[in-house]
Amino acid sequence: MTLIGRALAATAAVLLVGAVACGSDNSTGTTTPATPVLGLAATAKSTTSVDLTFNGTAGDNSYDIERAEGAAGTFAAVGSVPAPAAGGPVTYTDTALKVNTAYRYHIITNRGALKSVASGEATVTTKDFGFAANAISTDITASRTLYADTAYTLKGFIHVANGAVLTIQPGTRIYGDYATLGSALMIMKGAKIQAVGTPAAPIVFTSSRAAGQRQPGDWGGLLLVGNAPNNRSGVVNVEGTGTDGNTVVGGKNYTVQYNGGNVATDNSGTLQFVRVEFAGFAPLQDQEFNSFTFCALGSGTRASFLESLSPLDDAFEFFGGGFDIDHLIAFETADDMFDMSEGWQGRMQYLIGINTVQLTPRTGAGFYSVDLEGIENDGCNGTGCDLGFNSTPFTIPLVANFTMIGCGLSSCVGASGGHGMMLRRGTGGYYVNGVVARFPTDGISLRDQATYDRAGDTGTPSATADLQLKNIFFAEVNGKLFQPLSANQFELDSTANNLKLSTGTAASLFTTLPAVGTAPADITAFDFTPAAGSPIATGGLNAFTGAIATKAGTFVTATAYQGAVAPGAGGKWWAGWTTYARN
Amino acid sequence: MLTRPSLIRRLVFLFLVALPCALSAQREAQQGTGRIVGRIIDAASGAGIADAGVQVVGTTTGGRSGVDGRFSLGNVPAGTVTIQVRRIGFATKQVTGLVLEAGKSLEQNVSLTAATVQLEAQVTTASVERGSVSGALDAQRNAAGVVSAVTAEQISKSPDGDAAQAVKRVSGVTVQDGKYVFVRGLGERYTTSSLNGARVPSPEPEKRVVPLDMFPAGLVQTITTTKTFTPDQQGDFSGASVDIRTKEFPATRSTAFQFGSGYSPGATGSRLLSATSVGGESFAMVNHNRDLPAVVRNLGNFQNINLNQGDMNYLVSTFRNSWTPKVATGSPLLNGSMSVGGNDPVLFGHRIGYLFSGTISSGTDLKDGQVRALADRGTTKGETVEIDRFTGSTTSQSVLWGGLANLSTLINEGSRISFNGLFNRSADNDARVEAGSFAADAIPVQITRMEYTERGVYSGQLTGEHQIGSMHRFDWSATASGVRRYEPDQSAFVQSIDQDPAGGPAVLHWYAGGSGSAVRTYSDLNENSHEYSAKYTLTVGRAGSPTVIKFGGLSRHTSRDAQSFSYAISARNLTPEQLALPLEEIFDGRFSTPSSSYFNVGPLSQGGSYAARDRLTAGFVMADVPIFSALHAIGGVRYESDNLEVDAFSTLGSPVNTVKKWNDVLPSLGLNLQLTSRQQLRLSGSRTLARPEYRELSPIISRDVVGGENVQGDENLSRTRVTNMDARWEFYPGAGEILSVALFAKKFDLPIERVYGSGSGGTAFVFYTNAESADNYGVELELRKHLGALGSLFEPLTLFSNVTLMESQIHLFDSTKASATNLSRRMVGQAPYVLNTGLTYASRSGGLSATALFNRIGERIVAAGGTPLPDVVEKSRNVLDLSLRQAIRSGVLLRMDLKNLLDSPYEVRQGTVEREFYRSGRIVGLGLQWQH
Repeated sequence: MTLIGRALAATAAVLLVGAVACGSDNSTGTTTPATPVLGLAATAKSTTSVDLTFNGTAGDNSYDIERAEGAAGTFAAVGSVPAPAAGGPVTYTDTALKVNTAYRYHIITNRGALKSVASGEATVTTKDFGFAANAISTDITASRTLYADTAYTLKGFIHVANGAVLTIQPGTRIYGDYATLGSALMIMKGAKIQAVGTPAAPIVFTSSRAAGQRQPGDWGGLLLVGNAPNNRSGVVNVEGTGTDGNTVVGGKNYTVQYNGGNVATDNSGTLQFVRVEFAGFAPLQDQEFNSFTFCALGSGTRASFLESLSPLDDAFEFFGGGFDIDHLIAFETADDMFDMSEGWQGRMQYLIGINTVQLTPRTGAGFYSVDLEGIENDGCNGTGCDLGFNSTPFTIPLVANFTMIGCGLSSCVGASGGHGMMLRRGTGGYYVNGVVARFPTDGISLRDQATYDRAGDTGTPSATADLQLKNIFFAEVNGKLFQPLSANQFELDSTANNLKLSTGTAASLFTTLPAVGTAPADITAFDFTPAAGSPIATGGLNAFTGAIATKAGTFVTATAYQGAVAPGAGGKWWAGWTTYARN
Repeated sequence: MLTRPSLIRRLVFLFLVALPCALSAQREAQQGTGRIVGRIIDAASGAGIADAGVQVVGTTTGGRSGVDGRFSLGNVPAGTVTIQVRRIGFATKQVTGLVLEAGKSLEQNVSLTAATVQLEAQVTTASVERGSVSGALDAQRNAAGVVSAVTAEQISKSPDGDAAQAVKRVSGVTVQDGKYVFVRGLGERYTTSSLNGARVPSPEPEKRVVPLDMFPAGLVQTITTTKTFTPDQQGDFSGASVDIRTKEFPATRSTAFQFGSGYSPGATGSRLLSATSVGGESFAMVNHNRDLPAVVRNLGNFQNINLNQGDMNYLVSTFRNSWTPKVATGSPLLNGSMSVGGNDPVLFGHRIGYLFSGTISSGTDLKDGQVRALADRGTTKGETVEIDRFTGSTTSQSVLWGGLANLSTLINEGSRISFNGLFNRSADNDARVEAGSFAADAIPVQITRMEYTERGVYSGQLTGEHQIGSMHRFDWSATASGVRRYEPDQSAFVQSIDQDPAGGPAVLHWYAGGSGSAVRTYSDLNENSHEYSAKYTLTVGRAGSPTVIKFGGLSRHTSRDAQSFSYAISARNLTPEQLALPLEEIFDGRFSTPSSSYFNVGPLSQGGSYAARDRLTAGFVMADVPIFSALHAIGGVRYESDNLEVDAFSTLGSPVNTVKKWNDVLPSLGLNLQLTSRQQLRLSGSRTLARPEYRELSPIISRDVVGGENVQGDENLSRTRVTNMDARWEFYPGAGEILSVALFAKKFDLPIERVYGSGSGGTAFVFYTNAESADNYGVELELRKHLGALGSLFEPLTLFSNVTLMESQIHLFDSTKASATNLSRRMVGQAPYVLNTGLTYASRSGGLSATALFNRIGERIVAAGGTPLPDVVEKSRNVLDLSLRQAIRSGVLLRMDLKNLLDSPYEVRQGTVEREFYRSGRIVGLGLQWQH
């Protein structure tokens, strides 16, 4: 504080004391009148709490704390604190406040039955998220909480060890260190993550670089490894791990493995209102970290309201296991929006994926994929698939209410791919009430006899078949609902399964859909609600039967509409907690 | 590092030394007498025998052999003479019928047999003795262990052009990829190679093995394969140790030239897609044209820098714009060699033996009808389904040249100092074009690669042998050697094969997205080694069966630096018409103008580099003790202390440093029992070890560029300990004849195996693991017999054959992370049998000789299968070679070789899937050899 500043403060204090003194002059009565406290000061303690201190007077009974929000709010009591018998300093902590919000406080003294006039006001603004900095550079081996008031930076490959629970407060921001290539958070087998944000305070994992400079691959991503069954025998190395060898060294990228566990109900924690932005790490071709990588997670795990923004590889990738997951949104995905394999059994509802461009990843973080797809589902592939594509359990997810929009141009995808839905290597699954648009190759590639066998080796799968596609709406998919028939390519009956190939544009289906090639300004450039009169507002499979009904249980509801968003004003489930940025 | 200046220096040195030697030649010119020179050698080992008395029978002319076994008798009366050779411990031998012309020198080598039982003199004729010297070398009567050898004489009768081809004639030896020696089915991990007794550094990035095809056969005197361990050998062999001895100087001055040419149907004279070349590649001396662009090198891992599109365009333009092979005519196979040697110049009063030899061969060969595919899992367990099948061909332009300088002098009767220098260079410039389709994409593609590989070896060795009296002997040697494998600027790119409309003409489009679409790789590996060894031998006790005690030590320091950088170029937004352009046009700058926004370039981590340092210190003591006159015990112990350090740098990981220290005591005991004068029984047991290869300890992940598997080392590997048991019965029916039966059994504790693991998403993973244990056992039969006994018609024929039958069993730990199909199976690389057989015809006059050689190796595992796939096996293959040698006139020999007459395919299968298939083609060769 400068000298002038000190002088001003001193003068203000003298004037304040004078004003209080004047007030007491006006009081009357025989008992000592209740006098307002002096020296009220308020300091922000955290994003949600404020500390008040003031001087009490001997003989006072208690002090009522009153608070008003902002400059113009009205005061209301928030609590009371007993007075110390001898007077002296009193402290009070006000909690459950709003983040980064200004408050005014004053105190009313109680002396016997008398109340004083209000003390002088103190104003304070609660702290914003992440006001403290904390770097995490080694493995987390005991339970730990990450607080919203702290901005954490992941420096290295941070593993949360077996037995530990990582709790993350709503609103917490976690930065992946750009300077430590591949920095990632991995929840290991037996560990849990409890990352439950709120629409107002989502938990954000993002690049440590400033907005405008961020790129896919700035940091690694979020990986969860569990102990649920998959369909490969033996242990499986998590792709992208092991670049620092096999020896376990905290913070290093040692080899991480999962195996065909036997705990289908395994619990790796809860993710809710979580964003992962500009992630990805591709040390080798087909060896990539995604925004969200889920390896063999059991049904005790629960995830909803997750956003992936501009990853180097997939947005959401599932290897085996199975749990309930809903409300997923994937922006500008370099490879697959939703990638499932190795016996993934989960139930999934309300999925949005949209690309408008293929972003250039961070220099040196690896290469993006050559086969970008909306859904890329595999049965079993590689060593340990003892029955090849017939290895069990089959990959049978229930995927309901999905909206997947490619960027439409072949230049947006690599040399191959560009299918809206790639179903191959013996995958099954129930895919209902979807919208697939702007994929440059075709709508669906149904590859391999083994995959067709899941449908019962017929174009009209029965209600008990392991592979069913029902009520999916296609637009701008190169005029091909299915990749053309060949020895290895199959088709389903579009009429019997309500698979509609529209001649209309994708943009006409939705309230606001950015054109390909123009950069959307922000999240408000997107509104996935069906446009008025849109064919996707209706035409949904509104009653499940057979295997789909059994699988859906009470978790997945049948809808009369197709796509991830219900018609009408109330359906915008992405609003408020998501963000959009290309860099 | 083998740089070009150092090569030139070596060549200049070679010639500077050669000239004065040749010029100062002296000749015997005394009237009425001549000179007999030669070498007395141990029939068992081929080693020179010092201090043997050589006498011209009926005269007083005589002398003693020097420390290397060489002798020279001057003033021998011309005419037909007989010489007699005596040495304590060996049977005395008389060689009759030497025809000595006045004023001429005659060379006669004599082999002596250890006289354990039989002490009466042997008498042979000069011509028989000449034939049997090489036979004797092959007689494998080494006092201490089981040894097999191939000699220069045998090599000259075969079409074998390099040491790898020659060594496969040894019993129990298989040669993989024409380079790597497997002995008794044990991989290169268990076989060590040395040159003149000193370990050769390895030019292989994945292994420590020495590819023997680097050594031209023309420089080789013998290749000895030792199969049992004695403490004076390095402890890290279990299968065998292969020692290549370079040629020794001849006793009299001689010059030899050889020239040959070969024709390979399908390759020679055909129009072939061949790799482009720049600089001195035809002589394996590429210049800087293939260097990694400096600006790219400076970018390292491309980390912490943000390249804009203009930067990318510039970087792409710095790569050499050569991608597509050109059509060229396949050149014939040419080879030539020259050597000059003698023992005549005198420097400071000492006679200098010298040999300078140079050889070169070159040619184009074609692997046609090449098929490779991967096996995927079928939907019933163990079923295999073919995927990723590619067919194509590889054109290889190769050159191999080298030279040696061998100088030796006797300081006094008992001391010899010699210098051995060797240098060679080879290059293979391959163009491989293949078409097929990847299962993941189901799009037909063509892959085009050009791969230039240059290898070089140098070795300089100074050795001393000092015999002090008959009791003491001291040997020492100091060797510096280095090797380089240089693979600058290899290219690979992928094009999709499109037919639009379906059935229309195929159009190639560059498959421009992703990391495998266009790749340049730069690899360089240098390994240098210094080795110092000394050995003292004490011979005491009764003459005829002395007790021999040896002790010595060795210090070796090896350092290796292996680097590999790989870059991928991809592109976006190119139209199909643009993608249909040849790559040279796509990269000619039209798409990298300042406003262009097409290219992306970045490093691939198939690279990864590592450096290794290995210090070995060893000491041994051993004794050869006669228990009875017919029974020898050879026993001793070796101590080895090894300190190995590997620093690995993965492209996208942090450096990993691995330090390993191993101290081992390796005992061995052998018993040699002389059953009769012609029969011997040997028993031996020993403990040896195998250390992990450097690359295996480096936990970086590398990957073949297109469609390859990930390979990762493990810094936690242990070394393998091996217990060896051998028994061998030998019968020597006559000179140059042998019948032997050997049994062997080995037990491996924690052997290292290359196995499959699985990665999420289906990526195959290959890594190294210590298996629990392995057993390897088998029987070897060897026969060499003159067929004269069958009648005079068969007199000129000699039949030889060796057969090895073996079995092995390896057990992996259940808890291993390997996803191997069989936790218990044969060891990788082990064949159930190896058969070598041949028939030699030598006309009585010696003018015509012919050899037919046949080789067959049983089906063996080349890679263990990942569950549930069966193991990958290489099928048996019949190889028949024919050679004819006709003396046209004195000193001039006509050679004709028919190689690979059956042209059996090379075939690797996994279940029902043909993983690899090609034919390498027949070769017809003609040559002339002139010796003076």
